[in-house]
Amino acid sequence: MVPISYYLFLAAALFCMGMFGVLVRRNALVVFMCVELMLNAANLTFLAFARMRGDSIGHVSAVFVIAVAAAEAAVGLAIVIAVFRSRGSVNIEDIKTMKH
Amino acid sequence: MDFQSLLKTAPIHPDVLQQSLWMIIALPLLGAFVCGVFGRMMGRANVHLVACSAVAGSFILSVLAFWATSHADAGVPTSVANAFGGAPSRYALWQDLGTWFSAGDFRVNFGLLVDHLSGTLLLVITGVGFLIHLYSTSYMEHDDGYWRYFAYLNLFVAMMLTLVMGDNLVLLFVGWEGVGMASYLLIGFWYTDAAKAWAGRKAFITNRIGDFGFLIASFLVVLLVGAFVKQANDADLQPVASTSARYSAGLEQRGPLTFQGLETMARALPDASGAVKLDTPISSGPLEGRTYGGVLTVALLLFLLGAAGKSAQLPLYVWLPDAMAGPTPVSALIHAATMVTAGVYLFCRMSFLLVMSPTAMATVAIIGAATSLLAALIAFAQDDIKKVLAYSTVSQLGIMFMGVGMGIFWAATLHLVTHAFFKACLFLGAGSVMHGNGDETDIKKLGGLRKEMPWTWVTFLIATLAITGIVPLSGFFSKDAIYHGVHHNHLHGLEWVSGFLYYVGLVIAACTAFYMSRLYLLTFEGQRSPKAKVAHAHESAWPMTLPLVILAVLSVAASVYAFPLLANSKQALMENFLSPVFSAAVGSRGDAGIAKAAGTVALDTSLPSLGSYAMAWATVVAGGLLAAFLYMRFFPAQAGVPAPGFARLIRRTAQNKFYVDELYEFLIIRPVKFLSFVLFRVVDAFLIDTVVVRGTAWVTARVGSALRYVQTGDTQAYAAVMALALLGGVLYAILKVL
Repeated sequence: MVPISYYLFLAAALFCMGMFGVLVRRNALVVFMCVELMLNAANLTFLAFARMRGDSIGHVSAVFVIAVAAAEAAVGLAIVIAVFRSRGSVNIEDIKTMKH
Repeated sequence: MDFQSLLKTAPIHPDVLQQSLWMIIALPLLGAFVCGVFGRMMGRANVHLVACSAVAGSFILSVLAFWATSHADAGVPTSVANAFGGAPSRYALWQDLGTWFSAGDFRVNFGLLVDHLSGTLLLVITGVGFLIHLYSTSYMEHDDGYWRYFAYLNLFVAMMLTLVMGDNLVLLFVGWEGVGMASYLLIGFWYTDAAKAWAGRKAFITNRIGDFGFLIASFLVVLLVGAFVKQANDADLQPVASTSARYSAGLEQRGPLTFQGLETMARALPDASGAVKLDTPISSGPLEGRTYGGVLTVALLLFLLGAAGKSAQLPLYVWLPDAMAGPTPVSALIHAATMVTAGVYLFCRMSFLLVMSPTAMATVAIIGAATSLLAALIAFAQDDIKKVLAYSTVSQLGIMFMGVGMGIFWAATLHLVTHAFFKACLFLGAGSVMHGNGDETDIKKLGGLRKEMPWTWVTFLIATLAITGIVPLSGFFSKDAIYHGVHHNHLHGLEWVSGFLYYVGLVIAACTAFYMSRLYLLTFEGQRSPKAKVAHAHESAWPMTLPLVILAVLSVAASVYAFPLLANSKQALMENFLSPVFSAAVGSRGDAGIAKAAGTVALDTSLPSLGSYAMAWATVVAGGLLAAFLYMRFFPAQAGVPAPGFARLIRRTAQNKFYVDELYEFLIIRPVKFLSFVLFRVVDAFLIDTVVVRGTAWVTARVGSALRYVQTGDTQAYAAVMALALLGGVLYAILKVL
């Protein structure tokens, strides 16, 4: 059986990759995908711990995260489309009007 | 049935009547509500009906209550059981309406007490009050604010009744404040005139200074009772046939400020056999280490400050002459007959405490004498008819304070009653003069009213003779009873006071005769002044003359109470009548009294001799004749010739009221105004408004405008901050675990 730390290292790597993408990529769609990556890293951690503990609370949490992620994707994509329609671009460097 | 047993058989049995004592207060209160709220839509006649009948109903109930206090079933007078142990209060009715409020072991009951002292005052308040209501219906017939006027007047009566009927100091204070408020409302009744509105404010603020003293004194009394109940043992309370357990039980049931409880404590204090005496230090609490007698003296002096405010004594008398800005019947009721005597009532009610402190007594007497003399001298040169009467009131109140201070409480009460009659008569007479002469108040511009206003003239003359003290009239006997007591009672350690004050009193009597004769002569005798507003004065209508006649008759008849008419006692009627109230303080048959037990006052119960009567009478006649000579012969003969220099100097000083108002302006009002100015400019305008309020706004705005550059609008920068913060949190958690 694979030790639990393997799963956790994999999840941490996925999370860091996701965060890196969120912080440096300029395309809003890619940023979205990176956010999904971070969420799934969290899911992986939940499942790893669920397996270690042998109960189903982690599974339940993962299912919730998936549901929230689906909703977030729906709303986020709608926003991205709206922004693209009004500005003709999905580059987040161009969307900086909410400032001092 | 003979007269004696008729007096002792009340038409309504005390047990029945004492359930209804609250109605004496409730009737005028209801009248005030109805007149105040519905008065304008009810119309003038209905307001008169409601206001007068409320006071008349209250008067009838007062008569019944007064009668019932003397009721005796099979020779046993009606009495109120003493909740603190000891003898019941005889000749009294009492109604307890339950707890008003309580906090911890402090409680105040809503209890109403009618004994011979408060019963007498009830009759004066409602009786004279009704006459003045009746008079007002005619006096205020052209005033549009009639409904407001009668509502205030009824409110005043209700509050004054609360003051005299309260069985504890707190309820008395409610009435005390209530009459102050009614007085303020009525002085400033014509509030569109700025000077009159200011007079109301002056009265209110001056009274507040006194009320402050009253409150502190009440707190001291509460502390004193608390210390007493902790320290006293059964031996202390044994002479009053009580025990400390019973006394504490009484306190729990009735609270520390009832007069009955205070009287029981006062009787126990000077007793030599117990643990607590007047010079015992208090063992614990905020007053630890001070003696009972010392605290009591301080409390009484503070009560004196309160009484000086309400009863217009030095140093707080300045409001009363200005209070003449109100309608004249108000001056008669509030500022002559009833409210201003509240201070005298307070000290009579607490006579048992007062007699334990010769220092406080001497202070009361000296303040009274000084006020009386000063006011009498100021009255010399006042030309406003109401101002003369106002200063005369201050002076007469000073005489009552002299009586109270020298332990002759019954005479002070009698003078209170007779003064209420003749001073109300004088004020109403002055109102009648003003009414008939186009509101002219300057006596120099009146004169010769004798034939034009016969009823006003005759009643004013009788009241003038009564106040100056001409023999068969009441003022002579009540004033002389006070002077006799002042002369013959001796305060322990302060023996010089009585002899000194007696001669001051004679000077006051001569001055009184002088200024009252001057007032009467200039107003009613001689020729009508060419400067008069109307050529011919008209006599007032019957609702105005009838109260004048009744009051004039009463100021003659009231002298009966100063005569020793009893078969089995050589006391004067009033002294005998009030002895159930004052026996605790000054003693009576079979009761030594606190004054004797404490050895503070040596009281004399002899009646005045013919010699002292003759001396008082000669003084008065000399004063009156001097005024008659000056104003009938000397000045009219020298018309056109300027008066001698010293006379003008005296006149100017007296006319300017000895510059007391200017002195207060300089000593108190200016410094207070300066302090207020400093507080306003430095503390309020600078520290609070500028530094604290605007400073906070300024700092917030500056910080905000500096921090707004952090908001870049760049989502990824925000996310980076969040990630760094998360990283920091994780590092912190890891370090904690390691």
